[in-house]
Amino acid sequence: MTWSERLIRLFDNPLVVKDGVSRMRSWRAPFVITLYLGLLGLFGYAFFVLAAIYPQGQRVGAAQVGASTFTALALIQLSLVSLFAPALAAGAISGERERRTLDVLLVSRVTPFGIVWGKLVASVAFMLLLILAALPLFAAVFLFGGIDFQQFVVTQLLTVTTALAMASTSLFCSALFRRTLTSTVVAYGVAFFGLVGTLVGGVMLTVAAYVRTGSLAGPPDAHPLLFANPFYAVNQLINEPSGSPMHIGRLLQLLFALGGPPVQVGPTLEPWQATILVQLVIIVLSLFGAVQLLQGWRPLVPRREEAEPEPAEPPELPEGSRA
Amino acid sequence: MIEVQGLSKRYGAQVALDGLDLNVPRGEIFGFVGPNGAGKTTTIRILATLTVPDEGVATIGGVPVTEDPYGVRRLVGYMPDFFGVYDRLTAQEYLEFYAACHEVPRHRRRRVARELLELVDLGDRAGTQVDTLSRGMQQRLCLARALVHDPEVLLLDEPASGLDPRARIEIRELIRELRRMGKTIFVSSHILPELEELCTWVGFIDRGRMVEAGPMDHVRGRVLAGRRLRVELVEPEEVRLLAARDLIQDRRGVIAVEVVDEGLEVTVEEAFPDEQLLTDLVSAGVGVRSFARVTGDLSEAFLRLTAVER
Repeated sequence: MTWSERLIRLFDNPLVVKDGVSRMRSWRAPFVITLYLGLLGLFGYAFFVLAAIYPQGQRVGAAQVGASTFTALALIQLSLVSLFAPALAAGAISGERERRTLDVLLVSRVTPFGIVWGKLVASVAFMLLLILAALPLFAAVFLFGGIDFQQFVVTQLLTVTTALAMASTSLFCSALFRRTLTSTVVAYGVAFFGLVGTLVGGVMLTVAAYVRTGSLAGPPDAHPLLFANPFYAVNQLINEPSGSPMHIGRLLQLLFALGGPPVQVGPTLEPWQATILVQLVIIVLSLFGAVQLLQGWRPLVPRREEAEPEPAEPPELPEGSRA
Repeated sequence: MIEVQGLSKRYGAQVALDGLDLNVPRGEIFGFVGPNGAGKTTTIRILATLTVPDEGVATIGGVPVTEDPYGVRRLVGYMPDFFGVYDRLTAQEYLEFYAACHEVPRHRRRRVARELLELVDLGDRAGTQVDTLSRGMQQRLCLARALVHDPEVLLLDEPASGLDPRARIEIRELIRELRRMGKTIFVSSHILPELEELCTWVGFIDRGRMVEAGPMDHVRGRVLAGRRLRVELVEPEEVRLLAARDLIQDRRGVIAVEVVDEGLEVTVEEAFPDEQLLTDLVSAGVGVRSFARVTGDLSEAFLRLTAVER
């Protein structure tokens, strides 16, 4: 099989179509889209009014209003995506198990990876729809300036990778637990730790390091936990236009609380780059774990390349067997 | 078509299968009979590539289930004992989805789904959402789902469980129809009279071991030492019954004759000529109201076999 055929097979996944059709036929789909855009618009407008009345920051006039509103919109969008991702993905596999349809899927030609991948794409596709639907709200901010195109693109990229990471960990929970309720609760716990835990922990550890070294050492270096946090990454991206990169050596030094002068070794990473990197690792590990769980922690059985299969003709129906 | 040798499976301390052997020829309907917990579902799950055995070899169409599960899945259609359906999908979409899962080419899926809906007599329900279908219709749809890739072998785990009598008959007729289409069918069930009418081969499993298996008539003959006929007379007075019994019991091939419920039950050897007995009774002036083979032998065979084992 060629690479292009593999790529087509990756996205021509029957589960994506089935879950998509099934989800969009439910009343929940328009309700969630309305709720999402309503909340985003409401909070966006509130922050716009606040930014117009009380401008704060380095920019001037309308640019400051635009930057503040964009920051608020981006952070709210991240929060909403983090809120919706476990709800969409945490029941994806456990739901099949509860409905007793998982065995039938596993006996088909879809591999465990195909099932996990299909469920991920189906969940994330709906979140992509939400993100796309919100683009006009973000575009309105460009009327005021203060945000360049790269910041806009990277913010959306961070939102998408956050959605993917949240959905992947939720899928892992869904493969791990038999009950959707348990899976959803744990997935929200993991999401809370990933977003609020890393933020609070990162700030506390940064302050602790700052207090330990003393203010003479200059402005504090953010703790690596913050570099794994998409909220911090978005905030830095928009409000530190000159960037706040850090060497990988310094990040490791801070992560393992190693003393001594700052290590300036290795390539530098912006917070958003580090966040995306961490999220990619989380995605890969979660998907691998979910696949392993689905096939019962057996060694991966490679799918044998077969000769061109006989075309699957419909069964021949004997005369008179039709209704 | 299905060959199993020395299959063993344990779940912790519990032995599910203990060196199970079985062999199902192509084109037969194999009834897999055993009490709860005997290992029927474990065997079917191993054959369906869902469970890995601890020991032993199982092949379907010569393809080993553990070494080449994807090859086996091409050959096998599986219908579990309990199954669910998806919400908000029509019967047509449901089958097309599974056709896609089995890599049926895109341009054929719609036709395959339509043909199968006709086969299971749900042609007029193609646009109905599957979760609104009755249990019997869902069962038939599930059987159609197992056929989307035109498998050679069907593994049916308790296909008639939870169905009303009418739906059971429909499923039974459908299974017969599938045999006529050349499928090999492996079916487990607790409803023994139904299996008896349906199956051409039978296997009795108890505590993870196959205690008896083979063609239905052979197994019945081996276990019960003969088969039974019931003769009912037009005038079932005792004198006439006893006279008829005397007429029958000395014939070659007759093992025993008993008067049961105002009729005669005749146990005969497997090769006994039933028609000749009927002709002779009529020639002797005995008024015969009915003359039939007694069904329910499978239940008796099952009880005897499991009693011997316990």
